[in-house]
Amino acid sequence: MPSLAYPVPTDLSPATVKNTASLFRIVTLALISGAAIASRLFSIINFESVIHEFDPWFNYRATRVLASKGFYEFWNWFDPTAWYPLGRVVGGTVYPGLMATSGVIYYLLQALNLPVDIRNICVLLAPGFSAFTAWATYMFTKEMKDESAGLLAAAFIGIAPGYISRSVAGSYDNEAIAIFLLMFTFYLWIKALKLGSALYGTIAAVFYFYMVAAWGGYVFITNMIPVHALVLIFMGRFSHRLYVAYCSWYAIGTLSSMQVPFVGFQPVSTSEHMGALGVFGLLQLVAFANLVRSHVSSQNFQKLLRIAVVAIGALGASAFVFLTYTGKIAPWTGRFYSLWDTGYAKKYIPIIASVSEHQPTAWPSFFMDLQMLMFLFPAGVILCFRELRDEHLFVIIYAVLSSYFAGVMVRLMLTLTPVVCVSAAIALSSLLDVYLNPVEPDEEQDAVAQPAKSGPADAAPSTASSKSTSSTRGIFGIDTRLVVVFNTLWMLSFFVFHCTYVTSTAYSSPSVVLASQGQDGSQHIIDDFREAYYWLRQNTEEDAVVMSWWDYGYQIAGMADRPTLVDNNTWNNTHIATVGKAMSSSEENAYPILRKHDVEYVLVIFGGLIGYSGDDINKFLWMVRIAQGVWPDEIQESNYFTPRGEYRVDENASKTMKESLMYKMSYYRFADLFGGNQAVDRVRNQHAPKNIELGLPRRGVHVRKLDRPYLPSQERGHARAGSEERERL
Amino acid sequence: MPMKWASVPLALLLSVTSALCGSSSFENTAIVRTVELGGAVVHVTTTTALKTYTVALGKADREKTSLVEAKVKGQDKLLSYTERVEKDVSLFDVTLPKPLAGNKTVNIVFENIQTHATTPWPETAEQRDDQGLKYTTGLFVLSPYSTLVQRTKLKALVPRFKSYTEPKNVDAFVGDAAVTKAGATVVYGPYKDIPASTNANFIEKYQQPITVHYYHEQPVLEVRTLKRAVEISHWGANINTQDDITLYNAGPKLKGHFSRLEHQMQGYMNKPAPHILPALNLGLPPGIRNAYYYDTIGNVSTSKLRVAPLAPKGAQRSQFSLLELRPRYPLLGGWNYSFTLGWDAPLESSAAYDKKTGTYTVSVPILTPIPGAVVTDEELQIILPEGATDVNYALPFPALSAEIGTHVTFLDTVGRPSITLRYKNLTVKNAQDIYVTYKVSTLAHIKKGLNVAAAVFILFALGGIARRVDLSITPRKKKVQ
Amino acid sequence: MKSLFYFLALCLGLAYAQKIGQKELIERAAAGNGVIALDAETFDALTSQKRTWSATIQFTALAANRGCMPCKQFDPAFNSVAKAWSTVSADKRELHFFATLDFDKAPTVFQKLGLASAPVVFAYPATEGPRKTGRTAPTKYDFQDGFDAAPLAQHLSKLTPIPIPYRDPIDWAKHIMTAGAIIGSGILLRAVAPILLTRWTWAFAGVILSLVMTSGYMFTRIRHSPYTGKDGSWIAGGFTNQYGQEVHVIAFVYGLLGLAFIMLTVVVPMQTSAAKQRMQIYLWTAVIMIIYSVLVSLFRVKNRAYPYRLFI
Repeated sequence: MPSLAYPVPTDLSPATVKNTASLFRIVTLALISGAAIASRLFSIINFESVIHEFDPWFNYRATRVLASKGFYEFWNWFDPTAWYPLGRVVGGTVYPGLMATSGVIYYLLQALNLPVDIRNICVLLAPGFSAFTAWATYMFTKEMKDESAGLLAAAFIGIAPGYISRSVAGSYDNEAIAIFLLMFTFYLWIKALKLGSALYGTIAAVFYFYMVAAWGGYVFITNMIPVHALVLIFMGRFSHRLYVAYCSWYAIGTLSSMQVPFVGFQPVSTSEHMGALGVFGLLQLVAFANLVRSHVSSQNFQKLLRIAVVAIGALGASAFVFLTYTGKIAPWTGRFYSLWDTGYAKKYIPIIASVSEHQPTAWPSFFMDLQMLMFLFPAGVILCFRELRDEHLFVIIYAVLSSYFAGVMVRLMLTLTPVVCVSAAIALSSLLDVYLNPVEPDEEQDAVAQPAKSGPADAAPSTASSKSTSSTRGIFGIDTRLVVVFNTLWMLSFFVFHCTYVTSTAYSSPSVVLASQGQDGSQHIIDDFREAYYWLRQNTEEDAVVMSWWDYGYQIAGMADRPTLVDNNTWNNTHIATVGKAMSSSEENAYPILRKHDVEYVLVIFGGLIGYSGDDINKFLWMVRIAQGVWPDEIQESNYFTPRGEYRVDENASKTMKESLMYKMSYYRFADLFGGNQAVDRVRNQHAPKNIELGLPRRGVHVRKLDRPYLPSQERGHARAGSEERERL
Repeated sequence: MPMKWASVPLALLLSVTSALCGSSSFENTAIVRTVELGGAVVHVTTTTALKTYTVALGKADREKTSLVEAKVKGQDKLLSYTERVEKDVSLFDVTLPKPLAGNKTVNIVFENIQTHATTPWPETAEQRDDQGLKYTTGLFVLSPYSTLVQRTKLKALVPRFKSYTEPKNVDAFVGDAAVTKAGATVVYGPYKDIPASTNANFIEKYQQPITVHYYHEQPVLEVRTLKRAVEISHWGANINTQDDITLYNAGPKLKGHFSRLEHQMQGYMNKPAPHILPALNLGLPPGIRNAYYYDTIGNVSTSKLRVAPLAPKGAQRSQFSLLELRPRYPLLGGWNYSFTLGWDAPLESSAAYDKKTGTYTVSVPILTPIPGAVVTDEELQIILPEGATDVNYALPFPALSAEIGTHVTFLDTVGRPSITLRYKNLTVKNAQDIYVTYKVSTLAHIKKGLNVAAAVFILFALGGIARRVDLSITPRKKKVQ
Repeated sequence: MKSLFYFLALCLGLAYAQKIGQKELIERAAAGNGVIALDAETFDALTSQKRTWSATIQFTALAANRGCMPCKQFDPAFNSVAKAWSTVSADKRELHFFATLDFDKAPTVFQKLGLASAPVVFAYPATEGPRKTGRTAPTKYDFQDGFDAAPLAQHLSKLTPIPIPYRDPIDWAKHIMTAGAIIGSGILLRAVAPILLTRWTWAFAGVILSLVMTSGYMFTRIRHSPYTGKDGSWIAGGFTNQYGQEVHVIAFVYGLLGLAFIMLTVVVPMQTSAAKQRMQIYLWTAVIMIIYSVLVSLFRVKNRAYPYRLFI
């Protein structure tokens, strides 16, 4: 009998312990799911059940088409109101997974005679799927270590702000379901690899297909799994299990992914997908070589074989290079390329660079989104290295790659979060395994293995995996255990407070509705966006074209139901530049552009009165820059600065700036609001000019400004500013 | 002050004397027609004797009329009538409560409510302009009988008239002046000794349209469509009412563009433009819960609700819960705004159960009055609990159409009976209750619970079976680590 | 006689000064390696209202006492683009000029144009002749892509009759260095192969990489943040901003905390003496508490609205 640090009941049968543990696991998972869902409902409680931000409005609109007209109508949907007058073939240019998921849920509930509004399904989809994500992470981590680590990982990902930021109620975006699919596909891949099972490989392929249909980030899986396979081959860990798992996943996954119209033939014709194809080929070669080696014993032949494999591999690689060069294989698209060459986007695709979620990540964002997981993460990676089974390699590769990506783009923090949670859970669970184990080692007894696992130690709920304890010894005393355990509990509870705080303050604002706090602490809802959109919807002709900057395109389409020139789909740079040009030109030059595009209404967001910093004047330089990219002769960024190189809006503003349509529309009669006093722009803290006259013929072009005098937001601290900048810089 | 905007109440007071006992001939001793200018409602009062008395309405007036009521002055009881349509006039034969003796006089109030009777003039106005409305009616109150004295009073809310028609060719009847204006009232008449006037001869010779052009300081509101769904739930002891309302400002259309700055200045100076509707006050039933107000794109946060407590059982109707409803944007002339308004109320506040017959009786209001507004089209759907039988209903006034259908909603299996009623041109006067009676058996009450329980049980059973059946082709091997 | 000559010469000189023709400009450009060194007079000639040519003018201040570092940085790039232009065939070359105007030579021009900083590049379009654009005002080149020659050439190519045949000079030294490095590392690889094949090398590299990345290294690279602030502060205020030094500090803090956990999990249990082990456990727990508090207080500096604090 080994000595125990604290008493453990001995009269329990193993079956009872097993069943109780299983019940506890189920209950804990259920509670974690509940917590994951509940922590995403701040936005509904503080505001309302509404679709957030920009892209979700398009998804919501598409889902409504799907729900009301059926799948085939949706598939063939040509939207003439977007990108007026070009239109947009929606069915072929979206990842339909999200809409299809909501549609299926909607039809299912309808069939059960549960009349749930499609909007509520859309709003609550992301929280619902976060519960699934927690479960998938549990399954994944269970494969890495054991159930207790799995539960910790599930709890982490359930409440980690890094994932919540993209999955609060109402943020109806592709990422809402994609992270679940990502984790579940990874789990299935690990499972397939472990068992060498074609069945799991096929299920992984099916979920991969779902992922392809749901999110452009599927490319991460497309490259992550091949890299894992490649590293395994290089480490000499090739096995038939790997072969079966990879081939079944790749063949079925690729074929099915090509069924998504938006993806089409990309899996065989673009660089992003070539890695997977190359590894597929390499696996065949290696498998063939292994087969031959097992049948032929001649050493010379084996040498020859090795050379042949290398030669064929090299040949394949050069063929790929050649095909890329001749244009048969498309090179990396700008979005992916900018991940490697970080200066690329700013130079050549300012639209990508202008989006704030494509900005690099400073360390406070990491800490804010993941807090203590941030430093448990490297500890977990080290522990993975200690064991280094095949699946641990996956975590390691994932960790290194995604931490680079997350550093380059704020948005990719989302892909980092799962691996950080998994890795941190491994670290913390290993720590707890050691310190909750009641068995005390014998003092001064050198190099004697742990007593055989039998009796009460086995019954202890925290049975560490046999491998990890065999090389270690154990902890003496009870106080040492308590210190570490309490320290851990304290950190965990701090983590919970942190997550709640971050979620409720930074990530739960719908951005369609703004809240500001008055002096007395009462909350004011600033609903000017919807006021303008609803007015457009109710009181303009149905085919009245509305011009605005592309940020508002989806919202206008979704809420005002009117044609727009440009929207957040940003596929046509020239069209966006046209709008930029119209906004930054003088009225005489802008008017013909507006007429040519049948524009009847111009929507401008001006926040100078209430201090809303995300307004159009602050985005104006990007409009100028993008317009300059297409018409360098007519629009020049430097003309919008004062001679001293400052961006000013007051009397000192440059002439070009003062004459621009955007400027005039923003400040038109602004000074009148202040009576005789000096008008102050609260965003830029400058005196606004007087006597701005707008000469546009009012008959055709209406101007609406969001200029209701509300109290300026008092509580908009850094946290909030951070979340807003997430959208646009 | 009752705000009667989109309707013009018009009261016609007729003093009728029967000239000959036992004959069907009458003489109107005095007719006073009062038109309360605003939107469109007309009151007409007549006095007569004998079995039936006939009131006439000109063709144009008849077209605008949405409600006709007749009573004896000073009595509440409505008199029944039948309508005959002739070439130029509609004749209403009103049945008197008791025959009028010879040479006796009775005062009959003949009331009709006209909707969509006014037109904004000028048709467009700038934000700071006044709102002028035009109302047109016939000069003479037509009657198949001769009339001793007749007057038409047109009352506006404010004593400002732009113009009114000077009648022509009326010297034969006029005593002092054909038309006079005093304060907020324009009076045509008194005209004396008018012969029976429903004949084509008279109409052609003397009848003429008179138009009043007056200022109106409230917005002219029209509810273009109102879809009310009332759902009765016994499980929740709840009656849910939901209105989908399309509101339209029928005042002069906005000329130029809206300036919020100016709108706010008007607010500060307490001189709101007459045709702008910034907010609307509605009286909802007392004791309501979970009131909601949203439109196509989400919740509208600019409303205030003060819930009045429910009156104790048996007491007279208590006061209303006051909802100050503010559209997303101020509603200017020619602008639309559609929204949804709904609330829950305890079922016991509007339902009664008769133990003897096992019948439930529920009262359902046809509409929530929006002061002065006319409801052009209404569709009222009353959804009864699943399994309700013996459905009957009593209407306060006939509907255009009424049908009983099935409505399938929350976890229903066979659906719920629903009554769908359609109305046109309703006003505040029509805000009355419909009484619905039905029976629900105990089995029907618990059916839903049983269904759900059975479904969940089957699900668990299937899950249990699936877990215990091994479907693999080869016997399962131990996991390979 | 003499005075007459002087007079004539003066007249000629004046006429010459007012009418420095295209020919003269061509000669000057050829003399200056493709760049005309301008003064106030020649500037007026080059930018005269009636010009059939276009021109790119660099306004700079190269004199040492002006201390204009960017000017010196940019000058070679400008000259190399101008030189590249001088290689095109004469008929095209003579339609576009490159010129430099130094502040010390013609401060009046700077005043006239309202220029307060240097370097500035103006591109003057042709106002007459077949290449007339209808505009006379110059356009300004914004140094958005830095002071390199390639983007300048690319930008100016829109103005010149044919694109400027500018190619970045092949940096032989760099290529040789790279080749050398590859060969060297190949040799090194053989030598250190045993080290490379141990997992802990890779573990170390991988963990360092993720630590550096999650400490905002890419942010400082992409945004070109300075290593420390101008006032010597090493931590930048503001949530979405950071200095280079913060990467080191934060990576170190994360690393230390991670190490403490590894110590508690892996190393401490191997200790055979109960007393030593207890001491180690308390030590590492204290390290975690203190360093974590430091980390939170650092975060509070960045995010002032953050409501929580630990021991510090």
